Amino acid sequence: MYRLYISAIMAFLISCASIKAQDSLYHGKYLVRSVMIGIGGANVYDTYLSPLEYRGPELRFMHESMRMTKLLGGHVSTQRIIQTNWSYTDNISKSSKSYSGMLNWTYALHYQYKIDDNLKLLFGPMFDLNAGFIYNARNSNNPAQAKVYGSIDASAMLIYKFRIARYPMTLRYQANLPFMGIMFSPEYGQSYYEMFSLKHGGRNVLFTSFHNAPSLRQMFTLDFPVGKTIFRAGYLCDIQQAKVNNLKSHFYSHNFLIGFVRNFHLLRGKNMISLPSKVTPF
Amino acid sequence: MNHNSNTLFVILISVILSAVSSSCIREDVSGNTPQANFESLWRIIDEQYCFLDYKNDVYGLDWDEVYSRYSKRITSDMSDYNLFEVLSEMVNELRDGHVNLSSGYGTSQYREWFDAYPRNFSDSIQSNYLGKDYVITSGLTYQILENNIGYVYCSSFSNGIGDGNLDYMLKEMELCDGIIIDVRNNGGGNLTTAQKLASRFTNEKVLVGYMSHKTGPGHSDFSTPAPVYLEPSNGIRWQRKAVVLANRRSYSSTNDFVNCMKNMPLVTIMGDTTGGGSGLPFTSEIPNGWSIRFSAAPMYDADMNQIEFGITPDLHIDMSEEDILRGKDTIIETACDFLKKTR
Repeated sequence: MYRLYISAIMAFLISCASIKAQDSLYHGKYLVRSVMIGIGGANVYDTYLSPLEYRGPELRFMHESMRMTKLLGGHVSTQRIIQTNWSYTDNISKSSKSYSGMLNWTYALHYQYKIDDNLKLLFGPMFDLNAGFIYNARNSNNPAQAKVYGSIDASAMLIYKFRIARYPMTLRYQANLPFMGIMFSPEYGQSYYEMFSLKHGGRNVLFTSFHNAPSLRQMFTLDFPVGKTIFRAGYLCDIQQAKVNNLKSHFYSHNFLIGFVRNFHLLRGKNMISLPSKVTPF
Repeated sequence: MNHNSNTLFVILISVILSAVSSSCIREDVSGNTPQANFESLWRIIDEQYCFLDYKNDVYGLDWDEVYSRYSKRITSDMSDYNLFEVLSEMVNELRDGHVNLSSGYGTSQYREWFDAYPRNFSDSIQSNYLGKDYVITSGLTYQILENNIGYVYCSSFSNGIGDGNLDYMLKEMELCDGIIIDVRNNGGGNLTTAQKLASRFTNEKVLVGYMSHKTGPGHSDFSTPAPVYLEPSNGIRWQRKAVVLANRRSYSSTNDFVNCMKNMPLVTIMGDTTGGGSGLPFTSEIPNGWSIRFSAAPMYDADMNQIEFGITPDLHIDMSEEDILRGKDTIIETACDFLKKTR
């Protein structure tokens, strides 16, 4: 257990010190990629635009890539996720609409701890960058809000491999909890005209943590092969919240996702139905 | 993992998840009843409107007293139309043309800022000056008058004005003895458009005012006013005397235009005091979906004076009844005489 803690701390420090250094160290040949699209519902709220919550459908696209590294004796894997979500929401009286879009990029280093042959716990730091907008079709000089923020998250994942009547499946739960970061925000009543036309500054870049941006992104996925293709079904619960500059905002979304997984052995260049358990990051 | 570690792990995850779930950041409205809509509207103004302290000083506006007075008129069984009437009356207490409550029944508007004053503009009399061969370009209507004074009428700053259009117009007027920029009945539009036109009348960067914004919900929570400068245009710039004509309907970004022009040494403001409207308007809404526009960020003149209630002209002139009957515009006539004498 003691070794586990030391390993986790070292993984975090190494990741903070130099991401480039890690990539140059990496010689892994195996990676797991997945592509998923999702539909669901969004609840968008930003008091810069309106005191009311807006609800409506959401569309999401997600690309994920995982591979092992040689860090800490080959116990560290990387995970890159890029996802974008677009929603079209309206207020409760249906008298006003808003459009929103977000782009999220994450890069995580996970220490892989094998609990037993079928269950793995992955944990480590994650870099989490977000950019997007909310546009309210009815507002005058506050028609839109830019959403730009980044954080270092604590990320954890449980991967459980099991069979039902010899049919192999993989269940994964992942949670990313932003720990500390920075966020762009106009001041309470500051217009974008002041910021960008008049170049008037203010407290527009703010430190965030649990106290003012309690957020959590969670995901369940289930992998199941059909012929030579591995399908992935999932559910994602994305809770992004902030209370900065006396402005409150949240972006809640719940998506059901479907897609497929490809396992690559880079030297052979072939898609493989599964990777050996010693080398697969998943 | 041993048993203690597992327990610790479970407790840690539980604490984090419960901390996140218990710190939900949600909307702070309480239903869609007449009372909830009244409370929501009152609070939007209370927390976000930028002139509550200033108007308390000027005419004794007390927003808490307004709450007490109007809350008595809200009943749970009142119709939407009656609610709209009461709420419209309430926001008209702010005496601000930028405050409008919009519903399916219409849009409330405080009109005393121009209805209680002379109109000082007649488009039929204006047509006597424009004749039939005037030019319309990019929101500007212009003509060279018989006395060799350039006359430019700008009815709105809502649409952009092209640099090429301004270059051509000023080139056309280069031999004129002076120029009149008439912004009477111009209710405003884009600040950047107003400043683009004003930038043709200065050769150097000019301090034209200050702007601040609210930093919190308190009535006195404002940022330090930051200076606003007007940069000279890179295009053709007017180098002779100019007169700006204003009336009470010169409002919002037109008020800002007049404020900018008042800082130019070769420019004289004539006509009536402008209508004001120096608060940059934001929009919000109440639970039943009605939208509310309100002044959110105050602008000041170069001496840090409020210009919410208008800008006094250098030369106050009203259109006389006698001139109106003769089809003459007293304000244009006075401007022409001024430019002829001081050229």
